[in-house]
Amino acid sequence: MSTVIQTRELQKTFGRVRALDGLDLTVAAGEVHGFLGPNGAGKSTTIRILLGLMRGSGGSATVFGRDPWADASALHRRMAYVPGDVTLWPNLSGGEAIDLLGRLRGGTGTPAERARRAHLLDAFNLDPGKKGRTYSKGNRQKVALIAALATPADLYVLDEPTSGLDPLMEEVFRREIQAAAAAGAAVLLSSHILSEVEHLCDRVTIIRAGRTVQTGTLADLRHLTRTAVAFSAAGLTQPDLGQLAAGIRTIHDLVIEGGRVRFTADSDTLPDLLPLLARLRVQALSIAPPSLEELFLRHYRDDADGQARTEAEARP
Amino acid sequence: MNRGPLAQLLWLRARRDRFQVPVWVLTIAALSGLSSVAVEASFGTLAEREALVRIAVATPSLLMLRGVPQGTDVAALVFFQLFAFLAATVALMNTFLAVRHSRAEEQSGRADLVGATAAGRLLPLVATVLHGAATNVLLGAGVCLAFLAVGFDPTGALLSGAAIAATGLAFLAVGLVCAQLLRTARGANGLAAALVGVAYVLRAAGDAGGTASADGLSVASGWPSWLSPIGWGQQTSPFHSPEPAPLLLSLGFALLLIAAVLGLQSTRDLDASVLPERGGRNHASARLRGSFGLAWRLQWPSILGWSIAGLLLGAIAGGLGETIVDLAESNPLIGGALASIAPGGRGSIIDLFTAALFSLIGVLAAAAAMQSVIRLRQEESGGAGELLLALPVRRIRWMNDYLALGAITIGSVLAAAVTGAGLGLIRSADTADRIASVAGSGFAQLPAALLMLAIAALLYAFVPRVSIALSWAALLAALFVGQFGGVFGLPEWMRAVSPFTHTPVSAVRGADWAGAAVMFGLAVVAAALAVWGARRRDLTL
Repeated sequence: MSTVIQTRELQKTFGRVRALDGLDLTVAAGEVHGFLGPNGAGKSTTIRILLGLMRGSGGSATVFGRDPWADASALHRRMAYVPGDVTLWPNLSGGEAIDLLGRLRGGTGTPAERARRAHLLDAFNLDPGKKGRTYSKGNRQKVALIAALATPADLYVLDEPTSGLDPLMEEVFRREIQAAAAAGAAVLLSSHILSEVEHLCDRVTIIRAGRTVQTGTLADLRHLTRTAVAFSAAGLTQPDLGQLAAGIRTIHDLVIEGGRVRFTADSDTLPDLLPLLARLRVQALSIAPPSLEELFLRHYRDDADGQARTEAEARP
Repeated sequence: MNRGPLAQLLWLRARRDRFQVPVWVLTIAALSGLSSVAVEASFGTLAEREALVRIAVATPSLLMLRGVPQGTDVAALVFFQLFAFLAATVALMNTFLAVRHSRAEEQSGRADLVGATAAGRLLPLVATVLHGAATNVLLGAGVCLAFLAVGFDPTGALLSGAAIAATGLAFLAVGLVCAQLLRTARGANGLAAALVGVAYVLRAAGDAGGTASADGLSVASGWPSWLSPIGWGQQTSPFHSPEPAPLLLSLGFALLLIAAVLGLQSTRDLDASVLPERGGRNHASARLRGSFGLAWRLQWPSILGWSIAGLLLGAIAGGLGETIVDLAESNPLIGGALASIAPGGRGSIIDLFTAALFSLIGVLAAAAAMQSVIRLRQEESGGAGELLLALPVRRIRWMNDYLALGAITIGSVLAAAVTGAGLGLIRSADTADRIASVAGSGFAQLPAALLMLAIAALLYAFVPRVSIALSWAALLAALFVGQFGGVFGLPEWMRAVSPFTHTPVSAVRGADWAGAAVMFGLAVVAAALAVWGARRRDLTL
């Protein structure tokens, strides 16, 4: 697969504020790439640099192998963008805005394009005859989404595109994005909606404070998290537990409360853990796989929780 | 300290306007004081004032512009020169204030936030009325104090201040009504400004058709003036025959409208309007294509409006000159007064008057053109620019479109003004000559207006966040220094800074076009520099 977006050690400073501080991001063709991070982590700044609307202060960024700042308008022929907070022209109707944006992207109003537009208007259930100023946030977002999806692109850059949509519309959005990726397009999807990321994304990059803290497939990331283990404490002695802790070095937060032993273990040590538990003949065993939510929370939390972050970063 | 909701809302309004209102009050007071000084300096003797008043009384187009003369006292002359203009300015301040604190709040969604608290639906409106009333008291006090400072009659000064405050209050109510009628702040502001214009025109019609007094030194307005709040303020005649009663009309009018607004506000839904919002098209027309097509679509109503203003001012410029010369020829006394201002016979007098008015039209064209760059900045800061520039639209092209639109605006406003002047000159004896001269005056405004456009572009490129405020400030400074620098005796180097100082007076034989050529060159260089700078900077939201 060919690389569509590549940034290395990307930096961006606004005065004394470091918005991006070593951001690495790679997105390949045919891939839906989740771009995650807490508010203010630098997602929108990264996207604006990739669109050539801002210039990086250091490091490198390329889109289709070219400089997004210098070659902005040439690159935009192959790109479609949906901003997180869509502003429309107050006295242009939604239909006019869609047509205008389509024409600027090189659309000529062929029958196929018109059919595609009509299909999307119908699927997203949008009335194109209302003035831009009268649309709600969700409807403004639909206008930008329809304009982006109406003309095929090689790269879709979507900044929290569904934050104002209802679940039904999110479903329509997912179908369209999956179809675009299946046709070979690359998609960079910034989102806070974990179920959306889980459904759509092949790989994710998590950033915090302008740095990449984690990148990989969802399966990789799951693998790096801890699994919660609990069983009945009845009949177990202190040496038994000591033996368990000694056997598996990656057992954390071991507690005994309410008659149950609880701890977490790194998910990749689970195969070594199971024989030990069997030897202790533990009762009422429960093993909970890591949730994505837990994974994200660990990365999102601030430095009060810095431990988890350092551990995650230390891994290959 | 825990204040009640009304006090909180009032505090919020005072806090939001803490710079704007003081600047307004100081500007209005300074304008009143400085004009008084200027009139006193230019028309120091009774004979000069009498000559001026006699010209005015016999010149309907001058009465339309200024109002009705009320005697030859210096203060009365200042009131005649200033009041209608001052009242219209204060009226606009009030309509903007009313809409900003009512419809704009609803449109932005902040009214929901406030309405969900103990403040409820009516209290914010009450707070806006009180805040506006207090602002008008301050504006009136500013005028009163300025007139007292230059030594005018205290009763007259007080009545002048009261007239300004009452007129302001009437238009505060007009602004609030517009905010009830229309769904958007832009629409409400536009309607309210148009109504201020209607009030001005009604007064103008009434004053132009007024009857002169027996001594020929004052005019009683015709009935249309009595339909206009600006007319009511003017009828107080504070320095001639003081009469506060017309202000009761202003106050009654304001109270009636405010009562109606309270009624509407308490029955309608939040974010709804009395007049329904029109729907739009399902498909874009074939003309809405490309970034210039969009810029044109966004700006043409504004270009049309400014061009109509140019047409009207041009018509006045054309008509005024002719009337004045008729007058000069029929009255040896006035003829003498005029000859001292403009030696060189009939044609030269008309040309000089036209040229003087055309220099104002040049400022109008510059203001209209700068709106184009201001729109560019609003597109960028509002977020629509981001949507557009993520498409294959070149940054340089995008900016050039708005600069081209600005240049087109200048051409349109000046062409409209020349056309208007041509219409005003139709009954002139040597129409062809006069029109050629007027066209020259129109063309002469081009370089200064282009330079102001380029200055706005430079501000956009290098200080985007403050460019809108600085653009207007630059225009006001250039206008003030260029138009009034001589009157206030500003040093030569300071006057030389204003582009308008270098506009050739084409009416004068052998006019100096070198300054115009230099300004044109500067405008081109500045625009190129601005485009280069804007391409190099980040998009600034």
